[in-house]
Amino acid sequence: MNIEAKLGLDVFKIDKERHITIDVEVCNRVCTDKACLYVCPAHLYEIDDQGNNTVNFEGCLECGTCLISCDHRALEWHYPRGEYGVQYRMG
Amino acid sequence: MEKVDCIIVGGGLAGLSAAYGLASEGLEVMVVERGDYSGAKNVTGGRLYLSPIRDIYPELWESAPFERPVTRELVTLMGDGASTTLELASDCFATAPYQSYTVLRARLDQWLADQVMEKGGMVITKNRVDEILVEGSKVIGIRAGADDIGADVTIIAEGVLGLLSSKVGLREEPLARDHALGYKEILELPSSVIQDRWHLNEGEGAAHLFMGEVTKGMMGGGFLYTNKDSISLGIVVGMSAMRERKEKIESHTLLDAFKELPQIRPLVEGGTLVEYSAHAIPEGGIAKVPKLFGDGYLMVGDAAGLALNALLTVRGMDFAIASGFYAARAVADAKSRGDCSAAGLAQYEQSLRSSFVLKDLETAKDIPHIMENPRLFTHYPQAVSGLLEKLYTIGPHPSQKLSSTVIGGVRKDFMNARTLKELYAMRKI
Amino acid sequence: MDIVVSVKTNLDLQMIRIKNREPVLEAIPYKTGDLDKNAVEAALQLRDAVGDSKVIALTVAESNRKVRETIKEVLAMGADEAVLIVDPALESTDQAGVARTLAAALQKIGSYDLVLFGEGSSDDYSGQVGPRVAELLGVPQIGYARKITAGGAGVLVERSMDEFIETLEAPLPAVLTVVSEINEPRIPSLMNIMKAGKKPTEEWSLADLGLDPAAVASSCETLSNLAEEQDRKHVMLEGGAVDQAAGLVNALLKEGILGR
Ligand SMILES: Cc1cc2nc3c(=O)[nH]c(=O)nc-3n(C[C@H](O)[C@H](O)[C@H](O)COP(=O)(O)OP(=O)(O)OC[C@H]3O[C@@H](n4cnc5c(N)ncnc54)[C@H](O)[C@@H]3O)c2cc1C
Ligand code: SF4
Ligand code: SF4
Repeated sequence: MNIEAKLGLDVFKIDKERHITIDVEVCNRVCTDKACLYVCPAHLYEIDDQGNNTVNFEGCLECGTCLISCDHRALEWHYPRGEYGVQYRMG
Repeated sequence: MEKVDCIIVGGGLAGLSAAYGLASEGLEVMVVERGDYSGAKNVTGGRLYLSPIRDIYPELWESAPFERPVTRELVTLMGDGASTTLELASDCFATAPYQSYTVLRARLDQWLADQVMEKGGMVITKNRVDEILVEGSKVIGIRAGADDIGADVTIIAEGVLGLLSSKVGLREEPLARDHALGYKEILELPSSVIQDRWHLNEGEGAAHLFMGEVTKGMMGGGFLYTNKDSISLGIVVGMSAMRERKEKIESHTLLDAFKELPQIRPLVEGGTLVEYSAHAIPEGGIAKVPKLFGDGYLMVGDAAGLALNALLTVRGMDFAIASGFYAARAVADAKSRGDCSAAGLAQYEQSLRSSFVLKDLETAKDIPHIMENPRLFTHYPQAVSGLLEKLYTIGPHPSQKLSSTVIGGVRKDFMNARTLKELYAMRKI
Repeated sequence: MDIVVSVKTNLDLQMIRIKNREPVLEAIPYKTGDLDKNAVEAALQLRDAVGDSKVIALTVAESNRKVRETIKEVLAMGADEAVLIVDPALESTDQAGVARTLAAALQKIGSYDLVLFGEGSSDDYSGQVGPRVAELLGVPQIGYARKITAGGAGVLVERSMDEFIETLEAPLPAVLTVVSEINEPRIPSLMNIMKAGKKPTEEWSLADLGLDPAAVASSCETLSNLAEEQDRKHVMLEGGAVDQAAGLVNALLKEGILGR
């Protein structure tokens, strides 16, 4: 089962507000490793057609790995508001 | 500003344990949890060591929604194309009172929240705390949305990332080298299949750990726990290890590869995937435990780095529950003396020091370093299996330093310079 | 003005998963009906506009555990009091039984000028309960309210119809059901959630209302609740884009989907 299908099994209550914002300018200017692309267990980071880093925050498992792994502080990351984000049925 | 006796930031096991203790003492306690229900945001591998905490809240555990008591302990050391599976058959694990149980957090945490409410504690879900309010050196309460609420004591139980507490300088921000990523799948299997597949008596459970190839040599391992009618299958991998590996691996593919291994495929065969989850794990050990208390606040559970990954035992839930318990005692005491300053709350750290929580973390202080040595698994499987029983055993009492027994037992089999060198490195376990 | 607002607790539908074509209903968390929250918000706004009024939240369920969060939520939003009708016999009731229970409760409450409902519940969405209660009480009813103001003969209501808006007035007491466009329900603050527990709450059983469990028992039994299985036609269109388009049009004409 691919990762999108796995995420499809989880319950996500999606907020209009995003809880992860990328300072793309930092990614482009200083980051060579681009850790977020491979550490995220939900595989949510992607470089778009313009070469800019993007994140599909809607499928976020809220593990914080991208935040901890970004050496350049390019991420503004906070938990989603109450009533939003992933809700594990089992945990 | 409106005020309560005690606010608890985060309704995970640590926060709820503290709330239960405080509510039992009749204190006014408010837990604020961002999930739709307690446990909605929480992930664990799977097993709670009950022995160390059985006597904490002894009345509770009878009704706890545990999945299965772990009666079979398995570990597989995986080389590239070769692996050794060890099973530790020991009567002490196979008979009641069982030392550990598999659990699912959404169930366990909600149940504990219900117990808190039954004691008169308030558990407010679907609400995120936005800020810890600090005045000078004193924590005075919290901000959530448009509300500021004061408290004599704020218990910080926000979990591993510590976003709010690090923002106001109560701990450092989480660093990659002190954390692992844990992620898992839950696969449904009929209970009878689980019992057949793992050779279990009705209701009993197995814990199976995997090391080596599963993380492609990166620090970490795989785990498999049997629940009532599902299994939890996952991987823990060091965040730094992922960064340091030359050939980068997308983390999610490790779990797929793990499931495809010939040793694993038959175990998960026919299972229906029902949930995929991920969470960070503190692995910094005692060196990374922040100041545990101060004027008007206490830190408990993962938020305080109180977790231990010691080769074959991953522990955090028992530490979370115990730290919550001692925090509640300290707060109740401080309240009765009318002194919620750092001095009034100092008892908290003392009681953690004399309990298994800080003692076990202290005993294990060199484990993060030892774990970096792959030879431990590849060259010395016998030495490892000799260590197994000791490492698996989590008694009701603080763990002993293992070095004397281990060195004693192994010396006669491995008296050579190389072994001694390796053992020298292990002496600190 | 005494405003009673009826609220229902549903399963959180988003949490339900499907196993072997059947929904797994075990351990699903509860949630306050979405449109019910619009009704509560409308009641609060009306109360504050009219002055010297109160809002009573009324709910019916088989157990206190099921509705306690809902009651806490609407009291935290600002309702002044709550009345819970809790009785195990309500486990197997239906819309008619719920309406009978609510009507009896309203009679016991005694003074009410307006009774507000959501136009339908988030789960069944039958939209029956409000109108049934109005009939049982013998009071006027206006459905699909998108705006409510005190005035005229008692209350002035804009109804949201598919293609037009109808403005009606009704004498009090009256029953209204509201649509989601009427307002944006407020999110209760932490402080108000805390205080909600201290507001007056009454709990009555069916016996307290003088109702016999048989009077609320459902007259139908749900045998199965499955989505219809649809057969696929499995038609593959070959050739280039132009041929495929022509083939598709032909096939749709043949099925009677085009050119009706
Ligand atoms: C994959 C994995 C495997 C593990 N295996 C084991 C194991 O087998 N055995 C074991 O004992 N331990 C294990 N652990 C560790 C264990 O799960 C943790 O140590 C334990 O969950 C810590 O509990 P806690 O209450 O401190 O933190 P958490 O469970 O993380 O609780 C923190 C709570 O605070 C809430 N919160 C956070 N911020 C806010 C905010 N701003 N506002 C409101 N609420 C907030 C969260 O929603 C959460 O409910 C494992 C962990 C992982 C990830
Ligand atoms: S690791 Fe940080 S800086 Fe690098 S690409 Fe990702 S978000 Fe940008
Ligand atoms: S928090 Fe975890 S799941 Fe969410 S984007 Fe970051 S790494 Fe991915």
